[in-house]
Amino acid sequence: MELLTLLLILLLGLGGGLLLQRWPGRHGASPTYPQRAPFLGGGTPDTHAWSRYHIRYYPMTLLLIAFEMEMMFMYPWAAVYVEQGMKAVMEMGMFLSILGVGIVYGWREGVFKWQ
Amino acid sequence: MAVSWLSRLAVRGPATVFPALGMHGEDALYRLARDPGIALVDTPRHAAILLVAGGVPPHLQDALRRVHDQLPAPCATLWYQSEPLLELNQPGAVIIDDPAALPGAVKKTWRRLITREQDTAPRLLPDTPPNPWQGLGDDGHGGEGMMGGVPYGRPMAMPPTPDLRDGLALDVLTFRLGPFFPLWPAGLAAEVALQGDIVQQFAVVSPAFPQAVPQIFVEAQSRPVAIAELERKRVQHHLYAFFHALGLAHLPGLARRALALAEQCDSRPVQALDKAFTAFERALVRRGFFALYLPRGATLEGEDARALGGVAARAAGVEDDARHADDGYRRLGFSPVTQQAGDVPARWRQRLAEIQQSLRLIGRAEQGDAVTAATDSIELPQGTGSAHELLENQLPGLEWSEALATVASLDVAEVSPWPHP
Repeated sequence: MELLTLLLILLLGLGGGLLLQRWPGRHGASPTYPQRAPFLGGGTPDTHAWSRYHIRYYPMTLLLIAFEMEMMFMYPWAAVYVEQGMKAVMEMGMFLSILGVGIVYGWREGVFKWQ
Repeated sequence: MAVSWLSRLAVRGPATVFPALGMHGEDALYRLARDPGIALVDTPRHAAILLVAGGVPPHLQDALRRVHDQLPAPCATLWYQSEPLLELNQPGAVIIDDPAALPGAVKKTWRRLITREQDTAPRLLPDTPPNPWQGLGDDGHGGEGMMGGVPYGRPMAMPPTPDLRDGLALDVLTFRLGPFFPLWPAGLAAEVALQGDIVQQFAVVSPAFPQAVPQIFVEAQSRPVAIAELERKRVQHHLYAFFHALGLAHLPGLARRALALAEQCDSRPVQALDKAFTAFERALVRRGFFALYLPRGATLEGEDARALGGVAARAAGVEDDARHADDGYRRLGFSPVTQQAGDVPARWRQRLAEIQQSLRLIGRAEQGDAVTAATDSIELPQGTGSAHELLENQLPGLEWSEALATVASLDVAEVSPWPHP
């Protein structure tokens, strides 16, 4: 019964979504191929737009993940370290040193330089 | 019911217009930009109305057809001092020759389109894929695996070549941009190769439309004319250049201010003009136009600067100015002002300095009704050299935004042999 209810909710959600998507544009024709081409002020492209592009914030993202993972683990650790004592401190030390390698790598890649 | 309610709401909004500028089409742009009921948009996708302003030569009409077909339905085309394309030259085609009637015609077309009184314009190009699917591959890329292949008839953007900035090899995107690209001079079409956001190659395919000089500069070549009148037109030319550059820098409020000042150049008393210009100059600095928006690169030196002439030459320290040899100007105490750096900010500082200088000259010239003495050599508001070749050397290595700012800082269009109509 519960499964049936879930299925019904799923179907209603999907149907509602599709209706919202299709209903406003039911009168309009779909865009033609020339309309879908990239706008180049009357020019034309030579290559497919599928290309590798350098995300320049990439090293910064790595650094964020390094610090974020550290904080994620430190909250539960803070809750149990009084109980666990030295063992917990050592575990955290190992974890931080592994993350530290990531930060050193980021440093080498110039993450801390403001460009 | 819902549609009519939405239509009534939409009609109250500004008419969205994409201007495709032909020869001498800038006047239409300036007129529409001042109207709060009209929004000039940067791509046809945001527009309901395509405004073709000025003549479009036959070899650029295919490009115009491509732009025309990129407007979403319902759409309409207006022809301002322009001949409609053969397919659209029907009895209902809206052709406007009077500049004063243009904003009204735009708003009327917008209203008729939204309320469905007017049908959408027909499509000009066949609705077929430009490059039909031909290849293989699970990922729709045409070839085998992730590398290589010809997706939809176009090769993948490869192979990688060394990057000009930091050596990171990225795919090269090659495309032709223009001649109706709104962020650079009308008519300019170029083949651009981008690697990431760095321009790797820039080759001009079609030069910008020649720019007409105001009638007074043509008259000055045959008879003495009032210096005040000449200088007012010079100030106007520089302020129009600021209007384009400030639009590019996403400072629309300041751009409108530059335009309003330019429109007042012909008639407003020089003291009031000077005061308004000083306030505009302060606003430019306060809004960070020089500090935030202008790249430091694209420096012109020596022969390059001299060949270009005008503001670009004087911004690089070249003291070439035909006004210096004119006795009429000398009597007003004229001497050329220059900058030394020769880069993009220096060119804009030079324009500001020349506007100030021209305003001072207007003040003095109007007191004594000063006229020009020489007719053989007249200093035009724009440089007389062609910047097209220079762009091909200067732009590679710049980021795309820097390249656009560099193009905006130069008078790219050549001088037309005919005066402004």
